[in-house]
Amino acid sequence: MSHWHYLFVMAGCVAITLPLEFVLGARVWRRPRALLQALVPTVLVFVVWDLWGIYRGSWFYADEFITGLHLGPMPIEELVFFLVVPICGVLTYEAVGRCLTWLRGGPAPWSQAGSPATARSERAGRRRA
Amino acid sequence: MPEYTLIALCSVLGVVVIELFWLRTGILRTAQFWLSMLIVWGFQIPVDGWLTKSEGTIVGYDPDQITGVRVGWNSPIEDFAFGFSMVTLTLLLWHRAVRPTPQEDTASTPRDA
Repeated sequence: MSHWHYLFVMAGCVAITLPLEFVLGARVWRRPRALLQALVPTVLVFVVWDLWGIYRGSWFYADEFITGLHLGPMPIEELVFFLVVPICGVLTYEAVGRCLTWLRGGPAPWSQAGSPATARSERAGRRRA
Repeated sequence: MPEYTLIALCSVLGVVVIELFWLRTGILRTAQFWLSMLIVWGFQIPVDGWLTKSEGTIVGYDPDQITGVRVGWNSPIEDFAFGFSMVTLTLLLWHRAVRPTPQEDTASTPRDA
């Protein structure tokens, strides 16, 4: 089981941030195209950095705690990390935005007011105001 | 300067340059961004700490390539710069993707001012 250790940590990050999507209405997982546009360049840059770090011996991984699946010299866990952590960051950013909107007198983050259509009309409303 | 330290600092500088001279989303001037980053750093302490802890280390570092300054729960301080760059780059691109006309949008939403 210890080989799943690193991946379990990543799964925990996904699980802990899921309520941001479904309770606070972050709408990140539900905008997969935008998410991909944000993730692809980031993953590319950080995979290159990671490979450089491995090549230079800057960091290394305990075989005991990883699955052993690799992309070249890079453990698959690192790729998962470069996907999961940015997604958690975007979820946090959107959830914080929803909370700040609420604090400034807007709709509560757990209300249904965050659908793209509603968000558009809200923006239009602010523009008119 | 140790190599990881140097690259981590350059990555922070690089992301700021990308924002100022290319993407120009304006998010680095918002409370939403900095509050989010504080939360991300807060959660980085247990997650990064678990990966880099001294007993049962999952990810180890060459001591010659870091300053040796450890933050939180044994995380190299460089990891917090790494995290900043990774999350900020993602947020800049995300902002671009969901708000295709940033100039118009920021101009029309005084809450971001």
